[in-house]
Amino acid sequence: MIITKAKEKQSVLDTLKDVQSVFLLGCSECASLCGTGSPEALAEMKETLEAAGKKVTGSTVAKTGCQVLGTKVELKPFKEAVDAADAVLVMSCGAGTQAMVEVFKDKKVYPANDTSFLGNMTRFQHFDERCSMCGECIIDMTGGVCPVTTCPKGILNGPCGGTNNGMCEVSPDIECAWAKIYARMERTGELDRLREILPPKDYSKKLSPKVWVIEKKKEEKESK
Amino acid sequence: MKKFREALESGEFAITAECGPPKGTDIEEMLGHAKHLLGKVHGINVTDNQSAVVRIGSLPVCRLLSEMGHDPIFQLTCRDRNRLAIQSDLMGAHILGIKNVLCMTGDHVSAGDHKTAKPVYDFESVQLLQCVASLNSGKDWAGNDMKGATNLYQGAVVTPEANPLEPQMLKFEKKIKAGANFFQTQAIYDMDNFKRFMDRARKHNVKVLAGILLLKNAGMANFLNKFVPGITVPQELIDKLKAAGKEGALNAGMDIAADQVRMIKEQGIADGVHVMAIGLEDKVPDILSRAGIA
Repeated sequence: MIITKAKEKQSVLDTLKDVQSVFLLGCSECASLCGTGSPEALAEMKETLEAAGKKVTGSTVAKTGCQVLGTKVELKPFKEAVDAADAVLVMSCGAGTQAMVEVFKDKKVYPANDTSFLGNMTRFQHFDERCSMCGECIIDMTGGVCPVTTCPKGILNGPCGGTNNGMCEVSPDIECAWAKIYARMERTGELDRLREILPPKDYSKKLSPKVWVIEKKKEEKESK
Repeated sequence: MKKFREALESGEFAITAECGPPKGTDIEEMLGHAKHLLGKVHGINVTDNQSAVVRIGSLPVCRLLSEMGHDPIFQLTCRDRNRLAIQSDLMGAHILGIKNVLCMTGDHVSAGDHKTAKPVYDFESVQLLQCVASLNSGKDWAGNDMKGATNLYQGAVVTPEANPLEPQMLKFEKKIKAGANFFQTQAIYDMDNFKRFMDRARKHNVKVLAGILLLKNAGMANFLNKFVPGITVPQELIDKLKAAGKEGALNAGMDIAADQVRMIKEQGIADGVHVMAIGLEDKVPDILSRAGIA
């Protein structure tokens, strides 16, 4: 899921300094799991804004905030509240916020969260980054552990000199990706795969902005 | 005195030292240190924004040292350059008369003095070695023909006391496969451990220079043990430094380094030594003479 962190209250208030009334939009997917776009988070934001003298004209939690068409439909019943607001404050990821930029052509839309990474919830309210969305997955060669993401240097061919009793020199809280990879491939009997030199990443696969159209599904729908 | 590559290839015991360029344009002190080493070392490494701290670039300093009469070893990391910049610098090194390059991934920016910088790591050490091999063959990384190939003697680093060791050895072998001709090791103090490493290294056609890091006092030794992965200073050496007292510690450290150099040379444990004095390069000739060299 996309991991988001709520901006500091003061930072949000600074963003809204010229705005008197606000419509709040959350998201029931990742941002709810991160507690940054859930109904509770929206209620807390409402309290904060009202305490600062702002008017909250309405609020809702979109099912999937980054799904532009669906969210547009979901917001129809809230037209009046949105119209009455000077700005929409979006409590989801950067994609969800920009979905609203697309929906509300002439309205101010502001982010309430910082979007951090694609991660796994490994423990309750504990998120770990596992994938960098590099566009060409190589973890078949590295025991299912991604060195692009979990090694701070993204080294593809073995540990650097900073490997330290299974931990990383960059931080004592980070496990050395290569110590993990080696140990796992030893257990799975795949060490031979590790002897192959992996080439540098093809960064053209990561060139932004990316567009992806699933032609087959599109054609199926259009032929109906 | 033979050039670095010539010394290694002829089987002579090779000696290298290291110079760290300063932050700022006043380079006189560093050049002064380098002058002390003329005629004493076969090669001299020039560090590349060592510890991710901004300093003068390695390449121009290599050129200055070359003009002085040294055979510089251009340290090149992947932290600050993408593959385009790396290749330009390698070709640039060639036309400036630099003959040797040490290929490293590079300390992470989080270790340095510009912690908010974007770390590059488009390549890492193994791929950098492959890239040098490619430029030496007259093709750039993308396979395009070059007008004139480089002719760089390429080396890499290895940490014989890494823990765990096996992944490190795997990478060591990859570096050899990628074209490394020589290795300069991380500082070693435990000679038995180093001999075990060398037994494995000797199976490959590659030259190894043992890393000798001058211990200035017991505090430094403790710091290395605590904070620098892959370096272990045995308690026995720390006790020696302590016993020497504040005044005598550096002298004791020089004796320790000299003993290591002598043992490695006399017993033929490695093909040479890389002496790191970190700002005390003027002590290197003394260490070498205590070791019975020159």
